[in-house]
Amino acid sequence: MRISSSQIYDVGLRNIGRNQSQLVRLQEQISTGRRMLTPADDPVAAAQALTLTQSKEVSAQYVANQQDARDKLRLTDTQLGSLTDVLQGVRSRLVQAGSTILADSDRKMIASELSANLDQVIGLANSQTPAGDYLFSGYQGHVMPFVRSAASASATSQVVYLGDDGNRLVQVASSQTLATNLAGSDLLMNIREGNGSFATAATGNGAGMVNQGTGIIDSGTVLDAEKWQQALESGFPWQGTTNRALEIRFTAPSGISSYQIFDVSQPAPPAAAIPAVAVSAVTPFAAGQAIPLQTTGQPPAAAVSTDFGAQVVINGLPVNGDTFTIRPSANKSVFSTIQDTIDLLNTPLTSSTVRTEYSGAIHNALLNLDNALANIGRSQASVGSRLQALDNLGDNASALDLQYQQTLSDLQDLDYAQAISDFTKHQISLEAAQKSYVQISDLSLFKYI
Amino acid sequence: MATSGLIGTGITGLLAAQIGLQTTEHNITNANTVGFSRQRSSQASNLGLSTGAGFIGMGTHVSTVERLYSRFLTEQVNRSQSGASQLDTYHQQISQIDNLLGDPSSGLSPELQRFFTSVQQVADNPADLPSRQALIASAQSLSTRYIAIGDQLAQMSRAVDGEIASTVSGINAYAEQIASLNQRIIVAQAPSGQPANDLLDTRDQLVADLNKLVQTRTTTNTDGSYNVFIGNGQQLVVGVQVMTMTAQPSSSDPSRLAVGLKTITGTQEMPESLLDGGALGGLLTFRSGSLLPVSNDLGRSAASLALTFNAQSALGQDLLGQSQLSAAPNTFTPNLFSVAGPQVIASLKNPAGSPDVSAALIDPPPYNGNFYTDLTGSDYQLTTNAGGVTLSRLTDNKQWTGADLAAINAQLASEPQGFTLSASAALVAGTSYLIQPTRNALQTLQVNPAVAVDPRLITAAGPLAASANASNLGSAKVSTGNVGPGYPAAAAALPITLTFQNGQLRNFPVGAQVSIDGGTPVSIAALTDTVAYTSGATITLVGSATATPPVGFTFTITGTPNTGDTFVIARNTGGTADSRNALALARLQTQDTLSGQSATFQEEYARLVNVTGNKAREVAVSSEAQQALLAQSQSTRDSFSGVNLDEEAANLIRYQQAYQASAKALQVGSTLFDTILQVVAR
Repeated sequence: MRISSSQIYDVGLRNIGRNQSQLVRLQEQISTGRRMLTPADDPVAAAQALTLTQSKEVSAQYVANQQDARDKLRLTDTQLGSLTDVLQGVRSRLVQAGSTILADSDRKMIASELSANLDQVIGLANSQTPAGDYLFSGYQGHVMPFVRSAASASATSQVVYLGDDGNRLVQVASSQTLATNLAGSDLLMNIREGNGSFATAATGNGAGMVNQGTGIIDSGTVLDAEKWQQALESGFPWQGTTNRALEIRFTAPSGISSYQIFDVSQPAPPAAAIPAVAVSAVTPFAAGQAIPLQTTGQPPAAAVSTDFGAQVVINGLPVNGDTFTIRPSANKSVFSTIQDTIDLLNTPLTSSTVRTEYSGAIHNALLNLDNALANIGRSQASVGSRLQALDNLGDNASALDLQYQQTLSDLQDLDYAQAISDFTKHQISLEAAQKSYVQISDLSLFKYI
Repeated sequence: MATSGLIGTGITGLLAAQIGLQTTEHNITNANTVGFSRQRSSQASNLGLSTGAGFIGMGTHVSTVERLYSRFLTEQVNRSQSGASQLDTYHQQISQIDNLLGDPSSGLSPELQRFFTSVQQVADNPADLPSRQALIASAQSLSTRYIAIGDQLAQMSRAVDGEIASTVSGINAYAEQIASLNQRIIVAQAPSGQPANDLLDTRDQLVADLNKLVQTRTTTNTDGSYNVFIGNGQQLVVGVQVMTMTAQPSSSDPSRLAVGLKTITGTQEMPESLLDGGALGGLLTFRSGSLLPVSNDLGRSAASLALTFNAQSALGQDLLGQSQLSAAPNTFTPNLFSVAGPQVIASLKNPAGSPDVSAALIDPPPYNGNFYTDLTGSDYQLTTNAGGVTLSRLTDNKQWTGADLAAINAQLASEPQGFTLSASAALVAGTSYLIQPTRNALQTLQVNPAVAVDPRLITAAGPLAASANASNLGSAKVSTGNVGPGYPAAAAALPITLTFQNGQLRNFPVGAQVSIDGGTPVSIAALTDTVAYTSGATITLVGSATATPPVGFTFTITGTPNTGDTFVIARNTGGTADSRNALALARLQTQDTLSGQSATFQEEYARLVNVTGNKAREVAVSSEAQQALLAQSQSTRDSFSGVNLDEEAANLIRYQQAYQASAKALQVGSTLFDTILQVVAR
């Protein structure tokens, strides 16, 4: 093939140029550590790297959110622990107060101690996050959730809840949000009184009189929860719609201690009050006997037999006219439990019958306090399980992060061994091209003529 | 006689050798002249003198000086050259976009991520003003980044226009020179009929240079002049005549330059598809194939971000407790972003007084899990004729035809493109409008100034909350619930207190529509109307019946309520620690918000980077291949036409020897003559 002189130069220069640009490119790769200098170098990997980077960043954000949630839950957990400590203190005082040998003045002293405890509980319940939000107020971050209502002449001031039930959610994983708070209503307000299904109480013997016997009712037991719910909701034909309650009334026909169950529910106001109606036969009573909550008839209507699936035990000996009521549990706040106890302790014990009633009331207060403690315990368990979930998520996230890191590195990072070997290769070929260029351009016939 | 013949023959040899030497020197001196074809003197023997002893040779003469030129090889070089120039230009241009989008620190990606991170931070601490301020700041820097990229693309578009204009004037200049060389070649060649080699080389070089700008074809006339054609046969040069090319604003889109050809009848706009090859072809394909699609796609991402974010933002409640439920006057600000709507450009050829057409972006459609837009990255063309109106999507030429705009809009309702059309008056036949739905969005994405100055207006909370009454005795729990579009209609009479009675929920507001688990809504005619209770079922007070499943206010009651238990739906007054809406806003990052719910912002951006990177790679690879092709065809031509100095050195020796030999012959002749003279003198 015929070669023109310019071809010799062109080809030589072109090859040198090509080697040089390769070398510069490799040098840039080596100095940046990046395999792709522009997306054009590997468009698929570039796009993958972009989406992966987002996934990695999002995952990192979830980790940050988890940390935030963890901080808030730990604070909540600490406050719950303090609340438990205070309430345990209250409980031991209550147990102490249950002893009927205490003088009124001693009980007053306990009452003032409990008052201080109540303030402590209110203080804890109104704790704030470092950012200034109230911890237990639901969505109402800036509203102090637990405040005393204005005191009126008829009643001591009660603590009311001004927050709401809102869950403060944090996104802790792509498809998982986690509440970082406990609503104060669930924690301290909506606590079932009594045994959780119903509450028992001695209700007195005639107008203004306490029960005259020594009978003390226990908190009762639900034997069959389904029957209880069924009877309460639809099985039993209550005569009224409000204040639904059963009353156990003691009589002594022919000198034999007996009881009879009454329905004392009332129509909704402003309808006039109606008298209680007997819903069981008069049944003989032995001290310490379990009284099944069963109705056998409701004259004058047709006899209806309803089994509430529950029983109460009355110890001691009630006398004729003594009454005990069984009400479905209402909600009682921990504050009103303590406040009621304080009021109880401040009341002088004037007679043995009052003492009997006092024992029953202290018993109920202890029961309610235990319910509150159990409720806080449950909440603490819920916080604990959320913290546990966060730890699991954190483990997952760090594993995932490592995975992302690895894949990103595979996509983006330079294989140094390969790159340096390539560099050496191109360096050698550039040197060869340069040397041969000089030699070939030195060849000329003109040198010999 | 004999000796004078001897001298005469010697002289012809001397002359021929001289011409040979001159041609060789010409070659040597032009060895580095671009476009030079080596020349060769063609020698032929003179006609012999007829004598009785036969024909006696009379020496030699140079018949012509020819250039070693192959038309075929030259055209091959020109074709490769125009291809290489096109790809080279395209490559230079697209590398800029490729770097712009793909740079890990300056692309859109990090800003998008930072923006959503700060949304999450607001969700973590909704009442925290510094977090809200940080969200505003990152929204602003996101919008700045969109605008900066938009500016850069707009600047590239202007630069491309500038280059098109200068390329066109370059083409015109070459065309003029070729025509003038045609003239000189005709004049030079006419008298002698010998080729004007160096003029021809110059002209061929001009054609080669022209092919760097645009691909041409040439034909040769009998008088030696060239005709030059571009496109599919449009004349640029015919003999000594030149048609001028023009670069003027396109009649369909005056914002960009179109190339035209000035003819006797006027300026004719040339379709871009015809202008292939060369720098001009590279610029035009880059503009239509990469620059405009990228601008549109990024604009779509900006518009979709604004639309979806605003739609979700409108469903929230700000730190001041304001929402769509707030009584007037209020400062509730539903939109975090503002963005410009579609641009409609009426063709310059439309008859005077044609109605104006406008287009509007559609708010994200109600809502199947999350907000999204149906915008595409395409431009659209609306044309009218006597039969009606046609809307064409320019990327794939999908068409919608109808009697009027209302008919088109009706079709767009079922095949949504993210915008609707309207006109100032009934459209007239023979008009054309170009619709650019997203181009403007890229450079106009802004943070709403009202929110920017008051971060409390960011809507992090939900406007409604359901709660269980504190005196409820059952075990049922109620979720606080979520709102969807149209929720104010569902919450007309607040608070709503639902009562559970014997397995049924009642006391829904009269006139409300209630949907259970997304089923067909039931209308409530009276307060005593009941809805069966199922634990854990979603209950929706329907606000917008058109959506499937129905949306409005949705909540869930789980557990066993007791008869008489009540559940209250009320405004979330004071809900400063609520982050429900902020969470929904943050989720937009990972939800499919684009292309009719098929891609996330980040996926869409990654796709764009991928497509651009692929194109850049493809162009780079083709460009390299084309360069190799060019080098090869150049090499083939050079090996035929180029000067080899060694060869010329040999020729130099050859002609020198020929010259010396002829001179020797002359000397012999002269000696013979002297001999005769001596004889005569004696």
